[in-house]
Amino acid sequence: MIRIVTLDPFEEKPLAKLKSTLYTAFGVGSEHSGSAEIPPGLGEPLDAEKLLDQVKGIRAYQDDKVLLLTSRKLKERELPSGVAPTPGFSRQGKDRAVITLQPHKDLEASFKPVARQALHQLGHLWELHHCLDPRCSMYPPWTPSFNSGEPIFCTFCREKSEQKIRLAKS
Amino acid sequence: MPEGSASLNQLAVGDRVVYPNQGVCRVTAIDTKVVAGQSLVFVTMRREEDGAVVMVPEAKVVAIGVRKVANAEDVKSVFAFLRSDGDKADLDWKQRARTNLERMTQGGILGLAEVVKDLQILSELRPLPTKERELYDNARHLLVSEVAAALGTAEVNAEDAIDIVLFPPGRERPKRTAAEFARGEEDDLGLDGDLLGLDGDLDLPSEEEAPAEPAEEENSEEEGEESEEKSSDEDAPKKRGRPPKAKPEEAEGAEPAAPKKRGRPPKPKPEAPPPGAEPAAPKKRGRPPKAKPPEAEGAEPAAPKKRGRPPKAKPAEGGED
Repeated sequence: MIRIVTLDPFEEKPLAKLKSTLYTAFGVGSEHSGSAEIPPGLGEPLDAEKLLDQVKGIRAYQDDKVLLLTSRKLKERELPSGVAPTPGFSRQGKDRAVITLQPHKDLEASFKPVARQALHQLGHLWELHHCLDPRCSMYPPWTPSFNSGEPIFCTFCREKSEQKIRLAKS
Repeated sequence: MPEGSASLNQLAVGDRVVYPNQGVCRVTAIDTKVVAGQSLVFVTMRREEDGAVVMVPEAKVVAIGVRKVANAEDVKSVFAFLRSDGDKADLDWKQRARTNLERMTQGGILGLAEVVKDLQILSELRPLPTKERELYDNARHLLVSEVAAALGTAEVNAEDAIDIVLFPPGRERPKRTAAEFARGEEDDLGLDGDLLGLDGDLDLPSEEEAPAEPAEEENSEEEGEESEEKSSDEDAPKKRGRPPKAKPEEAEGAEPAAPKKRGRPPKPKPEAPPPGAEPAAPKKRGRPPKAKPPEAEGAEPAAPKKRGRPPKAKPAEGGED
């Protein structure tokens, strides 16, 4: 089950569309599981790693994947090879991911890039790596063509995600 | 000796090592066990990813290519290699597969980076075949795991650090052309401009397959890797192989009649497969007789007329009565 938890107020209609898109992509049930508070002390831009560690009040089962959705900006990460733009963040094989609407303003108007980002981060939760196919949602998200693509997976990533989901269920 | 391989003297319990094609492991024990009456020293390793345990005899540690996890300096050199430009992928799939296999098992962290970069460059020319796509994913996974272990960071950060180099932010990957790869190979061969002109986009598949013909049996698995792209292309060389069979026939001169005889049976064969074809021939023979009756249709229709005539004759007879 994919549980969408909002950290800021969002309209219900685009959230329903996002649930439908996630279900189509992963073949796993998806629902809006309410909202949660951003931990005190985390200023904007939010530190994604701390946010995932510190956010509380989320109820989920062991094999559930939680997608946090916020409209606030996430802090870019300093990595050994450079600065990584961070429109979303998740740890490989774990159960929580966070994405932001930034730099977009409205979820409904910028649905495709946000949904693509959601697929990307949830894909990392199922241990998918970045993909070579620009049409795939696992393509590196900081590339210019990422936001113009559809929220879908390539055949390879789709099959791998299905395999991982099957393994998680068994 | 494989790059960065570790001898038993260097290994100690608690060390992090890389088992080729398996990933980062931690040495959990080095002890002596009696196997088949022989006393052997085993190094026991537990894979960090999923906890799988493997025991390797002391004598095999070096041969297998077990090595210590790369350090920060190695990772820097990997980033420098990934950032460098100018490498072109090998278009000979067989050579490429052999090289990549060697890099995966004995190339160390730099070998993993080479596999990732080469396959990425190749993907800029055309989509990777399934097997190479899987190889790319495996190499990337192993590289990310080792970089994460070397830098002591999360895998997602290690992967992003690698991909910031491979996919610089704000820039799209270049689209490469087959000619670009072909020129590189030809330059290496030192061929003249005349031959350069012969190598266009269409020649590239044959370049890959040409070496595959002599040893198809040896690497049937490798052939399967690119079967999607090459299956149609491999048929072409086979067709090319058939004409040579016809050439010796022409050279024999007097024999062409025999091959012609051989050629004729196939013609009846297509007739033979449909079993009804053989009866068709007799039908043809039979048709002329049928055709004759049509010619003598006047006589045959006469027969029914004869049947009709008797009644006519009867009245004639009756008339007599």
